[in-house]
Amino acid sequence: MKQSKLWVVLCAAILLLGVAGCLWVLRPTGGDTVEILQDGKLLYTLDLSRSEDQVIEIPYTGSSNIIQVQDGKIRVLEAECPDQICVHMGYLSDTGLPIVCLPNRLVIQYQQAGTDGATG
Amino acid sequence: MQTKRLTELALLATIALTIFMVESKIPNPIPLPGVKLGLANIVTVYAVYRFRPKEVILLLTTRIILGAVFGGNMMALLYSAAGGALCLLGMLPLHRLIPEKALWISSILGAVFHNIGQMTAAILVMKSLGVAMYFPFLLVSGCCAGYFTGLCAQFLLQRKPHMMNPAQTLAER
Repeated sequence: MKQSKLWVVLCAAILLLGVAGCLWVLRPTGGDTVEILQDGKLLYTLDLSRSEDQVIEIPYTGSSNIIQVQDGKIRVLEAECPDQICVHMGYLSDTGLPIVCLPNRLVIQYQQAGTDGATG
Repeated sequence: MQTKRLTELALLATIALTIFMVESKIPNPIPLPGVKLGLANIVTVYAVYRFRPKEVILLLTTRIILGAVFGGNMMALLYSAAGGALCLLGMLPLHRLIPEKALWISSILGAVFHNIGQMTAAILVMKSLGVAMYFPFLLVSGCCAGYFTGLCAQFLLQRKPHMMNPAQTLAER
């Protein structure tokens, strides 16, 4: 009985850790610089407050993602992948949570302070 | 392996695959990569408590490969394979420590192991730590989904305690 309580506490601890992690990730970053990475390589660095509205197509072995920059916001407009998760995510929110397209190995994220150059 | 065992496993794989396919047709209310209920894992958790480790590995491998083929999402195969492998690696020893009455606990821990496997595969494939930001969300969803599927499997075991019971089939031999 005592042992099973220990397991419950472990589960609760994992859940709490997860919730705390979510809150940490969702804190506002306050940055304007957005990075577009594919396969771990930095393709574009955009300053959303200054960059003009545009549509960027990023191909990846036969399929591609179409990324839209509009009114200082960025989103995946179209994606040639089965799940369409990145499209459903909508505009990139001003948090630590990136838009990710797993099939096309694409990451769109706000540049984290302190990692400048580290990813480039 | 006896024909009866093989048939039981095939039946379980069919059930799991059916659940998997039906679930994949339901739109995901949480549009985050890797987040899903994973109802097919009711069968996995059930099998962990009723079958030998070798048989469970066989069952899950079949489900994952056929699920990717029928679902037409071969890219997802890598993540579910990594998740499934780590899940079994964690759950097969854990089911000896955690009694059937507390099955939901080992189901939650299995789900968390699954998330760790998924995340590791995603970081390696994307070569970017950006995806790691999803890990807390996977943890929370894994705890909820694991709890739910665990409870389902637990009720199943309690209602049908002797169906496909290895001890019973062993005695018959």
